[in-house]
Amino acid sequence: METSLQDIAIAMGLTGAMLAMLGMGLLIAYYGSSKTRGVGFVFLLFGIVLAYLTVTNFDDVHFGNAFIAFIGGMLGGILGIIAFLVAIIKS
Amino acid sequence: MDFADWMWMDYFVSMFTVGIGVALLATGIFTSYFGAGKSQQIGFILLFLGLVAIIVSYILAFDTVEFVEPIFDSDLFIEALISGVSALAGMIIGMFAILFVLMKVDTVDDLEDLDLEDLEDLDLDEELKKLEEELNQADDNSENEEEE
Repeated sequence: METSLQDIAIAMGLTGAMLAMLGMGLLIAYYGSSKTRGVGFVFLLFGIVLAYLTVTNFDDVHFGNAFIAFIGGMLGGILGIIAFLVAIIKS
Repeated sequence: MDFADWMWMDYFVSMFTVGIGVALLATGIFTSYFGAGKSQQIGFILLFLGLVAIIVSYILAFDTVEFVEPIFDSDLFIEALISGVSALAGMIIGMFAILFVLMKVDTVDDLEDLDLEDLEDLDLDEELKKLEEELNQADDNSENEEEE
């Protein structure tokens, strides 16, 4: 693990933005009106460009582990919120 | 790029516990501040549990307590934390960019398609007279039908 923390931060930041662009772009391109559909396709294009930039510029970043760290954090957060809801509903 | 060497314990499990801790802490602060009575007590319990989860993950990653053996690698823990926080920040920035563009783009259907000249030429008095005539005709027809 010789990757610098700065590289990890930039690579994962770009990955997060890429995921948002691809996900939202897909939704807008599919469900959007005639005007917003074009914007959705532009977002999809941006997402693909971001993916290309991330994959080609950060060879030394271990994306698999960084990604499972992100998913782990998300799952933990969701579980925490579920615990909060259960506690409030049961009270 | 290396996708094969998975480190579930150092990356996934450590961030899972931190995620639970942060969520419980945030909801605990919220509930203990805005809640009243029993829900406020629950808020304090959630706040306490969140703090415990975060402190436990810290102790398990960094060798801070003598009789507790750390199970997470401290360097990898920092890497995992930075990965998770950066990805979350990137997603939030991406979402804001999308919302900004969507708000700037005119998403309402064109008003140019509506022929405003027709509306300008419309004589309301004439239209009202036509309507009155139609109504009178309808009344006359109904009266004739009744008489028959």
